[in-house]
Amino acid sequence: MGKSHIKTNIRRLRFNADEMTQQQLADAVGASRQTIIAIEKGNYSPSLELAFRIAHTFNSPIEEVFIYEHMELPKKKK
Amino acid sequence: MSYREKENIINILSGLLITAIYGWAVYQRHLEGSINLTTDYNTWGSVFLVFILVSIIARIIILIIFHIINAIATREEKIPAEDERDELIKLKATRNSHYVFTGGFIMSIMALALGMPVYWLFIAFIMIGLLAEIIDNGSQIYYYRKGV
Repeated sequence: MGKSHIKTNIRRLRFNADEMTQQQLADAVGASRQTIIAIEKGNYSPSLELAFRIAHTFNSPIEEVFIYEHMELPKKKK
Repeated sequence: MSYREKENIINILSGLLITAIYGWAVYQRHLEGSINLTTDYNTWGSVFLVFILVSIIARIIILIIFHIINAIATREEKIPAEDERDELIKLKATRNSHYVFTGGFIMSIMALALGMPVYWLFIAFIMIGLLAEIIDNGSQIYYYRKGV
């Protein structure tokens, strides 16, 4: 829940793709507009399949669309 | 506010309304003496079955009315299709409501073991069911707003 460690470039890629609207992207990848908004805000990490579909829509590699910010996991007590 | 959030608010309100009206109607019949809920436990069976039936029919009618009003207000006739985020939110909300229902069920049984009258158990089941439903829909609203 809350902000994820995955950042996206979807907003910029939409702008570069002839100012594609969130609804157009949602229709292209089979998701709702609300889901696209949540992904752009960083409130939802999409499934691998949806992430690949978004990347495919922009003809971009997935690492150009999504950026993972690595964070150390808390160490378990032995 | 998205369609799903509005739908969940309608579900909470209709759940409260239907339970309150039906509960009041049953209690009036109990006061009149046409049914005895404190000693005749078989009556509770028919009370529950009729409640389920009434609840389903009333909810369908309320949701149709909501959809019509929403379509007029937003000019969007199509109900948005569910995607993976909707399904994940529903799953998490169902988990939360099951926790509440299980906890309530165990507490009711414990209260029964401690000497609570049996008819209170049936009332508790209705209240726990309503609470679990509110938690389900409330959780969905929370996840839609805060993220999942």
